[in-house]
Amino acid sequence: MTHSTTVTDAVMSRRSIRAFSDKPVPLDVLKKVMDTARWTPSGCNFQPWEGAILTGEPLRQLQDKMRATPPQDPREYSWSDPEVLPECLARLHQVGADMYAAMNIERADKAARGDFMAQNIVSFGAPAVLMVYFPRVMGPPQWSDVGMWLQSIMLLLREEGLDTCPQEFLSLYARLIKDFLGVSDESHIFFCGIAIGYRDESDPVNAFDRKREPLESKVQFLGFE
Amino acid sequence: MDVSAAVASRRSIRAFLDQPVDRAVLTRVLEKAQRAPSGGNTQPWNAVMLTGDPLQNLLAKVAEVIPQGVAAYSPEYNVYPPELDGAYQQRRFGVGEAMYAALDIPREDKASRMKWFARNFQAFGAPVLMLIHTPRYMGPPQWSDIGMWLQTVMLLLREEGLDSCAQEAWAVYTKQIRECVDIPDDHIFFCGLAIGHGDRDAPINSFPVPRAGLDEAVRWEGF
Repeated sequence: MTHSTTVTDAVMSRRSIRAFSDKPVPLDVLKKVMDTARWTPSGCNFQPWEGAILTGEPLRQLQDKMRATPPQDPREYSWSDPEVLPECLARLHQVGADMYAAMNIERADKAARGDFMAQNIVSFGAPAVLMVYFPRVMGPPQWSDVGMWLQSIMLLLREEGLDTCPQEFLSLYARLIKDFLGVSDESHIFFCGIAIGYRDESDPVNAFDRKREPLESKVQFLGFE
Repeated sequence: MDVSAAVASRRSIRAFLDQPVDRAVLTRVLEKAQRAPSGGNTQPWNAVMLTGDPLQNLLAKVAEVIPQGVAAYSPEYNVYPPELDGAYQQRRFGVGEAMYAALDIPREDKASRMKWFARNFQAFGAPVLMLIHTPRYMGPPQWSDIGMWLQTVMLLLREEGLDSCAQEAWAVYTKQIRECVDIPDDHIFFCGLAIGHGDRDAPINSFPVPRAGLDEAVRWEGF
């Protein structure tokens, strides 16, 4: 890599990509990224994260199996508590509305929305997917550690010109994925997939305006001049 | 600063220089960090930034109860999973031993080790302490979102020439934190993040931190 990507560039240019080009992802680049991501911090240095990166034939086989299987019931974990309503649900609906508007899909067009949701199974055409899992004994603070590791990976991939989409959706197929990978369902929880590839610059789904809460509603400053 | 340089040069800094941090820099970092991803765009993170008198008040309040030992602890969650297999205990033990070796404190010298541990509650001399909280209804996946945001903050701080130390240790003094800082009752207090200019030459900040090999964490299929 001759170009340089600052942390700021990476943070600002990272977005969840939902249309990838079919350009393959070089193994040496991924190895470099995953190797550097080991320096992510974790409470007590537990490094609770584990994952498998799939591409090519194994990825296609797994996606075929998912397509032929209904989502698991009960779910691997709860995505959101009912109490999360309504403040968080409003944000979820907003991002959904903006996304479908970018694609010119009407709210009433359930079929088109369903087709797009199903694109999650093939990770929006990404040539590589990181499947993320870890021991079930890990509690909420260790989930935070895993999150730190995932963000390290997503930002390091930006430095390599690569894009991502974190997909909690894939936990609908958690047991199937673990079975495919030979990961114990008893000992490990499956968290999410990270789609990895190059963004399709021309697709409007990758270009809608994303909203965030204003900083004042999130952070309080005490004692500063 | 390159992302890889930021990731590789970030380490938990446990000795800071007596040099203030500009609020404008912190605001810039936190504004950018708002772009961190979260499931369903939930953005579950919340924080209080403390410096100056409000920070000193908290440190003093906690210092008063430190002599009471664990009797004064009031964590709202388990920092360590109750059941962990040996490999994780080894990782925890490994970093602790590496740190105390750098400080020349043998295992038998419990008093010195305790004294060092107590430096957590001076935020290791950092001029700024960030306290992180989130609504109690947030589940484990939202804690992961908070982690993504936290790492974003830590890496952006590196770019500003700043250092940090994520401190779950603060969870044990949640009661005192709540007395000093207005964290809503329906929020859980997660951790602190000490922020400042690290004394990078101090032995505590320069020992090699062990990490598991890549093969222990990641498998490759189809390449």
